Amino acid sequence: MNSLIVKALGFAAILIIATIVVVKQMHIDLSDPINAITIIGAIAIAVLTAGVSAKYISQMKSDTASGELADENWDGIGEYKNELPSGWAYAFLGTIVWALWYWTIGYPVDAFSQIGQWNEEVKTYNKKFEEVHKNADQATLQQMGESIFLVQCAPCHGVTGDGLSGKAQDLTKRMSKEQVLYVIKNGQNQLGYPMGAMPPGMASGEAAEKIATWIANGSKGTPPAEFAVCASCHGADGKGNNGMSPNLTEYDQPLVEHVLKQGKKGMIGRMPAFHGRFTPVQVKALATYINTLKDN
Amino acid sequence: MQSNAALEYDYSVAKLFTITAILFGFVGMLIGTLIAAQLAFPELNYLLGEYGTFSRLRPLHTNVVIYGFTVSGVFATFYYLAQRVLKVSMAESKFIMFIGKLQFVLYMILAVSMVVTLLLGITANKEYAQMEWPLDLLTVVVWVLWGVAMFGLIGMRREKALYISMWYFIACFLGVAMLYLFNNMEVPTALVAGVGSMMHSVSMYAGTNDALVQWWWGHNAVAFVFTVPIIAMIYYFLPKESGQAVYSYKLSLLSFWGLMFVYLWAGSHHLLWSTVPDWMQTMGSVFSVVLILPSWGSAINMLLTMKGEWNQLTENPLIKFMVLASTFYMLSTLEGPIQAIKSVNAIAHFTDWIPGHVHDGVLGWVAFMIMAGIMHMAPRMYKRELYSKKLVEAQFWLQTTAVVLYFTSMWIAGITQGMMWRAVDEYGNLMYSFIDTVTVLHPYYAIRALSGVLYLTGFLMFAYNIYKTATAGRKLENEPQFRTPMA
Amino acid sequence: MFHWLEKNPFLFSVGVFIVIAFAGLIEILPNFAEAARPVVGLKPYTVLELAGKEVYKKDNCIACHSQLIRPFKAETDRYGQYSLSGEYAYDRPFLWGSKRTGPDLHRVGNYRTTDWHENHMWDPTSVVPGSIMPAYKHMFTNKADIETAYAEAVTVKTVFNTPYGDDIKPGREAWEAYKPKVIEEAKKIAADMKNQDVKDAVNRGEVPEIVALIAYLNRLK
Ligand code: HEC
Ligand code: HEC
Ligand code: HEC
Ligand code: HEM
Ligand code: HEM
Ligand SMILES: [Ca+2]
Ligand SMILES: [Ca+2]
Ligand SMILES: [Cu+2]
Repeated sequence: MNSLIVKALGFAAILIIATIVVVKQMHIDLSDPINAITIIGAIAIAVLTAGVSAKYISQMKSDTASGELADENWDGIGEYKNELPSGWAYAFLGTIVWALWYWTIGYPVDAFSQIGQWNEEVKTYNKKFEEVHKNADQATLQQMGESIFLVQCAPCHGVTGDGLSGKAQDLTKRMSKEQVLYVIKNGQNQLGYPMGAMPPGMASGEAAEKIATWIANGSKGTPPAEFAVCASCHGADGKGNNGMSPNLTEYDQPLVEHVLKQGKKGMIGRMPAFHGRFTPVQVKALATYINTLKDN
Repeated sequence: MQSNAALEYDYSVAKLFTITAILFGFVGMLIGTLIAAQLAFPELNYLLGEYGTFSRLRPLHTNVVIYGFTVSGVFATFYYLAQRVLKVSMAESKFIMFIGKLQFVLYMILAVSMVVTLLLGITANKEYAQMEWPLDLLTVVVWVLWGVAMFGLIGMRREKALYISMWYFIACFLGVAMLYLFNNMEVPTALVAGVGSMMHSVSMYAGTNDALVQWWWGHNAVAFVFTVPIIAMIYYFLPKESGQAVYSYKLSLLSFWGLMFVYLWAGSHHLLWSTVPDWMQTMGSVFSVVLILPSWGSAINMLLTMKGEWNQLTENPLIKFMVLASTFYMLSTLEGPIQAIKSVNAIAHFTDWIPGHVHDGVLGWVAFMIMAGIMHMAPRMYKRELYSKKLVEAQFWLQTTAVVLYFTSMWIAGITQGMMWRAVDEYGNLMYSFIDTVTVLHPYYAIRALSGVLYLTGFLMFAYNIYKTATAGRKLENEPQFRTPMA
Repeated sequence: MFHWLEKNPFLFSVGVFIVIAFAGLIEILPNFAEAARPVVGLKPYTVLELAGKEVYKKDNCIACHSQLIRPFKAETDRYGQYSLSGEYAYDRPFLWGSKRTGPDLHRVGNYRTTDWHENHMWDPTSVVPGSIMPAYKHMFTNKADIETAYAEAVTVKTVFNTPYGDDIKPGREAWEAYKPKVIEEAKKIAADMKNQDVKDAVNRGEVPEIVALIAYLNRLK
């Protein structure tokens, strides 16, 4: 083959290989049909453009101009009455025939529904991951939780879950002293626990301080005596009475479920509700993951 | 005057538009380079206060390069070559001369208003149709004046049959007129409400309809601003510069009518997977693929025109520019159709692969042709030799490297980004947060910024070369018939 | 035959025009009425939201953000329900965008909140390390043009029958009467914000651009 064509194809090959290498580094699955078609398309662009243009350019070296000139001449520019290049003409005809086939027989214009395709895609997805999701063990849940967290929650809570210096809840700890005092003072009613509302002013002054300090320090050891008022709802250990009210000692699954369903507006700010955005497994995964954050 | 006597062509209007093409070319690409750098180094957003963010500057870049640089280039080459292929001189009609100059003055007012309003954030916010309604009105006037000049010159022509370049200029005029009018139908709100800003309007169309009309325009603005008049240029400048006859009339004819017919249908490839009905999307997708051939037809015709002229290609840098322009034109008109295939578009749309495709066309084809055209015209307009061949050579290699860097970096960036958005981990959850897909692009954005610097440097060399040609180039006794003389 | 049509510029131009004109008719017109219909329950933008949309347009967020969720699982997982035509019935112009340097925003109101936007627009990297989005600090001091936003509401009501109440009507007097409602709405947003200057401005009866913008972003659901 002509050296120009070889060089051009060489360039095309480098571009394609570079693309594939970079993409592969990102752990992309190239057997996914959309990805595969895209790579094939990219190859077609590079190879056809390089090959065909190099072919014509190399003709500048090897061929000579010829043909019958038309009578007209514009500012010294003449015009040959040459026939169409046959490759071009057949390709043009080919695409026209292909288009007609496409509309009438292949994929009649009204036959495709992109929403239908989305439904199919979801169905296929569900089938593919049904097994993984049904019997997910702790490790799986934690990994799942982490990836969901990084995509959906990290913009507020930070990649490490630390709440970005007070911009959102610091999920590595349960609650700060200020937050507990804030709830004690104002009460709270938004998470939708069976117990309903927590009334304001359950404690005050010294007592409130003591309770808040205990909770903020991780609810370790026996609670202060003042906690008795709280215990009636949150349980003697503060763990929320089997899901009747929030667990004050850790992010257990019911808590995460309630927060994701209802959202929450607290002392720090507002957390949006994610109701309907996650499957039950995903919520479980998030809870599992968040619960591991405290250990780090 | 006799039809075969040598005419004294008048280039005063062509010269004016040449200057604005260079000026806006520089400003537009400077902004392009800045916004490219901003994506790699975000601190650069704060050089000009609220007027310097990427988002304010981006439409300024597109509008200045399109309506400043490209359109000036179109007018400049039109006022130059229309006289020559029609065999009439602007000097023969005071009226047309007046129209041409008036068009220039109003055009300048328009361009300056455009820059000022966009900087201030006064925008209708439809891509490539950002100008608010008072500027639209002025645009219509400028365009009509161009039409008057065009059909005036045609009416006076001595050459019976219209040369191919004129077909394309006529199409450019009609196409833009039709599309621009419909896309800019808007209601000025202050006129209805009696309160609020006079510069504000709402589109006549809402939502999906607005999208359809907008991309009917947006896509065909590519056709009638970035393609059709540039083909007009290459059909004149390449045969003229090389002294070769156009390879095939039949190919010219079929490519032209094919392009006219097919282009308009393809607009909905900008709306694939949107809320536009599926059948419209399919139409756009299929017609885009058919569009490859009429597009390639012109490019092939030009490459075949150079058959046997290898020595011209190696010796004349202007020929190099134009041959490479045809090649980049082929690249973008194959890349576009492939990106218009629905499955490919699912990846490509919204990613950097699209700006990559765009700049194959605009840097490698549009700007190459305009610069080559100006370098061909300058010695004839100023009756001086082109100042430096070495500069042209250096410019060519610098800018070619720039285009290659631009499109390879954005090609890889776009494909990577598109695939990362879709990627799912082994448990079926999204593999990447959005910001992961942003930070991974940093090196590619940096490479593009570098390519901008290279291209801009080349453009400065070009501007300097033209300036020196006009002021200090060796005087020419006779106008060269074909090849442009350069020192 | 040779050069036949090209010797007749008038016919030639008519030919070109016909060839380029009819594709538009066939592709655009058939669906026009259908696509103009709003989805059930869609409310027109409030004046404050419109003012926010103007800020979004003025600072050209469309340069980096789309508002169109395509029907792919990867996209509905990331952003929520795919977009429907009828949801855009009051969008003049449409703001789908063509480039996602940043994420889609069509439903950002579902998963971001006032205080988050406040932090983010002031300094994106403070919440998303590595973000390349510019900070828009000037929005905290610039005042939104609520009067023009009102004019827009009047216009779409008058010309396109967008269902606004009777209190949206032409004239300065009507606007003066309406203005307090806009301020009220702005106060609700400002209440969730921390920037004291912004809160003070709203209490003075002014609307900083950021307040209007957040009202608009919260509305995107
Ligand atoms: C009447 C029952 C009741 C009592 C008594 C009570 N709480 Fe609560 N508490 C609740 C309920 C129910 C919620 C959840 C409210 C909601 O839906 O937002 C709650 C929420 C909280 C929260 C917020 C948890 C979160 O993650 O948002 C804190 C902190 C808290 N309680 C601390 C206390 C303390 C400290 C006391 C004692 C001083 C106390 N509670 C007494 C019922 C009670
Ligand atoms: C737009 C910002 C934002 C996003 C996104 C967000 N959060 Fe939050 N989240 C907050 C804020 C703010 C708080 C603190 C609310 C308060 O003041 O108590 C919070 C609090 C929480 C809490 C503690 C609630 C409590 O009762 O103490 C949990 C658990 C939580 N978020 C989990 C999540 C998970 C899981 C995700 C992702 C699926 C998520 N968040 C996404 C902003 C956000
Ligand atoms: C230079 C590009 C750029 C511009 C211009 C830009 N953004 Fe962004 N935007 C980003 C990037 C990148 C992200 C993702 C990283 C982050 O959250 O900061 C983002 C994220 C966002 C988000 C968060 C969405 C989410 O799902 O997390 C919002 C809201 C937003 N931008 C609003 C705006 C608004 C409003 C404007 C205009 C005033 C704007 N942006 C201009 C690049 C940009
Ligand atoms: C056969 C010819 C072409 C076809 C079929 C085609 C197709 C496409 C497609 C599919 C897109 C992407 C739409 C998206 O997903 O966002 C696009 C974008 C674009 N193309 Fe082309 N293209 C062609 C030639 C060209 C040429 C020659 C140029 C310029 C010289 C060009 C300039 C552009 C521009 C500016 C955009 C960006 C539009 C936007 O802002 O989104 N195209 N084209
Ligand atoms: C120095 C050379 C140039 C550089 C560095 C440059 C850079 C850029 C950048 C960074 C963008 C924004 C891409 C994004 O949003 O991701 C852009 C967009 C664009 N540029 Fe350029 N540009 C240059 C020259 C030109 C020229 C000469 C033209 C036209 C003649 C042009 C036409 C466009 C168009 C149409 C877009 C919009 C593309 C889209 O929306 O998809 N550019 N350019
Ligand atoms: Ca306009
Ligand atoms: Ca675009
Ligand atoms: Cu297009």
